[in-house]
Amino acid sequence: MSVIRILLADDHAVLRAGLIALLNARPDMEVVGEAADGGELLPLAEQIVPDIILLDLTMPRLGGLEVLPLLRQRVPTARVLVLTMHNEESYLRQALKAGANGYVLKKAADVELIAAIQAVMRGEMYVHSSLTKALLDDGLATAVAPKSETDSWETLSEREQETLRLVALGHTSKEIADQIGVSAKTVETYRARGMEKLGLRSRAALVRFALARGLLG
Amino acid sequence: MFNSPFFTYFWRFAGAFSVRSKIMGIVVALALLLGVGITVQVRAVFLYTLEERLQEQGVSVARDVAARATDMILVNDLFALYQLLEETRNNNPDLRYAFVVGQDGSVLAHTFGVGFPTELIEQNVPRGDDHHQTILLETDEGPVWDTAVPIFDGRAGYARVGFSENSIQTSIARLTSQIVLTTVLVSAIGIVAAAGLTWIVTRPILQLKEAAEAVGQRDFSQRLDPWANDEIGQLTTAFNRMTVELAQAEQERAEREQLRSQLLEKVIAAQEEERRRIARELHDETGQALTSLMVRLQMMNELCANPELKTQVEGLRQLAAQTLEGVHNLSVELRPSVLDDLGLTAALERYIQEYRRHTAVEVDLVVLGLEERLPAPMETALYRIVQESLTNIARHAQAETASVLLERRPDRVRAIIEDDGVGFDPLAANNGERLGLYGMRERAELLNGQLTIESSPGQGATIYIEVPL
Repeated sequence: MSVIRILLADDHAVLRAGLIALLNARPDMEVVGEAADGGELLPLAEQIVPDIILLDLTMPRLGGLEVLPLLRQRVPTARVLVLTMHNEESYLRQALKAGANGYVLKKAADVELIAAIQAVMRGEMYVHSSLTKALLDDGLATAVAPKSETDSWETLSEREQETLRLVALGHTSKEIADQIGVSAKTVETYRARGMEKLGLRSRAALVRFALARGLLG
Repeated sequence: MFNSPFFTYFWRFAGAFSVRSKIMGIVVALALLLGVGITVQVRAVFLYTLEERLQEQGVSVARDVAARATDMILVNDLFALYQLLEETRNNNPDLRYAFVVGQDGSVLAHTFGVGFPTELIEQNVPRGDDHHQTILLETDEGPVWDTAVPIFDGRAGYARVGFSENSIQTSIARLTSQIVLTTVLVSAIGIVAAAGLTWIVTRPILQLKEAAEAVGQRDFSQRLDPWANDEIGQLTTAFNRMTVELAQAEQERAEREQLRSQLLEKVIAAQEEERRRIARELHDETGQALTSLMVRLQMMNELCANPELKTQVEGLRQLAAQTLEGVHNLSVELRPSVLDDLGLTAALERYIQEYRRHTAVEVDLVVLGLEERLPAPMETALYRIVQESLTNIARHAQAETASVLLERRPDRVRAIIEDDGVGFDPLAANNGERLGLYGMRERAELLNGQLTIESSPGQGATIYIEVPL
């Protein structure tokens, strides 16, 4: 089995040194280059064409998220494993969208990094376990078809429909009261009754419902 | 005196009319009162005087007839007697009748022509020693003053004359109509004068009223021209001085407010910048150093042959990992780097995820039309407002669900945070809450936006923020 050639991009020199020591200690891995930011990384990657690039997201000048698509384009054979402090799902999504092959959190670097590199080299995608749930939720969310609530909407009175439509559009109760010519108290009543009939529990749920029904156009 | 119930009652009555009505009413009432008073008095005096003169005339004419009739009766010259009566009647236009009664009670001569009213004789019969006797007869032609004078001390009968009051009545009627006409005329002049006076008095007052209303609407540019140096003119001058003072105070207030707002903006920006710097420092420097520490300890762990030392190193590694976790959380709490790197939506998603983990409130976030990033100060402000709102909900609202809506329209961004909790009276919120709401409002206003709160106890609460783009 040939040695995995690794290019390391992280702005923190002490961490780089630690990682180099960790990786070079293994017989099957070798760090062939290091860069402190995205600007430094790009030409280096083009020059040495590594097997895998360990990429930090937060770097001065050109950050990880900006440099990722460029790497995909210019060094398509190199796999990119993101190594970052950020445990937020949105970073994960952005990184995967930009073409990362894996996502490892720095807090788990000591124990997971080697396994992640090996998994990515096998052609798998590696994502830190605390973040996989979010990806599953994304898939599920699109898989669940919006329920049809056409009939319950038709059971609402005209006033209730108008009130709910205006609530979903983001108007205050006072604005709605002025617009349809009743008191704010009555608006609250219409709204509560309409939501009850539709089985909606919050304003956000109402907005989603209105979007699905196309009431906001 | 001004506190007495009577005065209060009077003032409630008088206050119900406008100044115009009051002045006009007083003038007309005075004119009418004067007219009626003068009419009554003049009529009384006039009537009394004329009646007295009529009586005197009656006595004098009757005595004249009696004196001149004496000889005629004694010689029984009835024709001369008749002529005497006719002559007397021609000389006195008010004389209604005259007749002479003989000693035996028969009428010797009279001025009635045909048909002498015989019942007239008993009405007034003088005694022989009377100088004269006058009575008032109510006839169907009006009141008549009837005077009887004995002739030759009653030995030759008596003479009777009757003077009609009709001409007096006519004079008084004419006089009355003259006075009434004058009264009406004076009243009309009075009304015109009162209208003029009212106009003079009320015009500047109405102007003052309009100007005061404008000042009430915060228009301090109002200046009025004092017409005269009377009380109203002084009021106008005082009013002008007041608006000048108010305009000055308003300007000072606006300047202070602007300074305060600038200062606040600076403080908020500085605070955010400081938080960002510390968060970044924690994240980049401390975090990276801890990570390298962990990596090196792991290496040591792998290289170490001594099992006891291996356990020690593993313990240190775990400590470093925990510290890293703590530092990272602190950094995110101070200011999430997501907000700068990925924008408001991602930052709110992260915050709400964290929030759900720590509270029992089910938060639902809906973001519409925010594919592109908003200006950084706006993102920060909206993030902090939502954060503060959700913190308040967790702390006070006892809500089951909360909604966070974020919508970008072509010209503005609207955020709504709503919960189904216990609600509160926005005007009666306690000091801590009010300060929090105030801070949120300030953040919105620094972006020229506005924040509206709708809530009442038991009805949940909704906070609307609208910021122009």
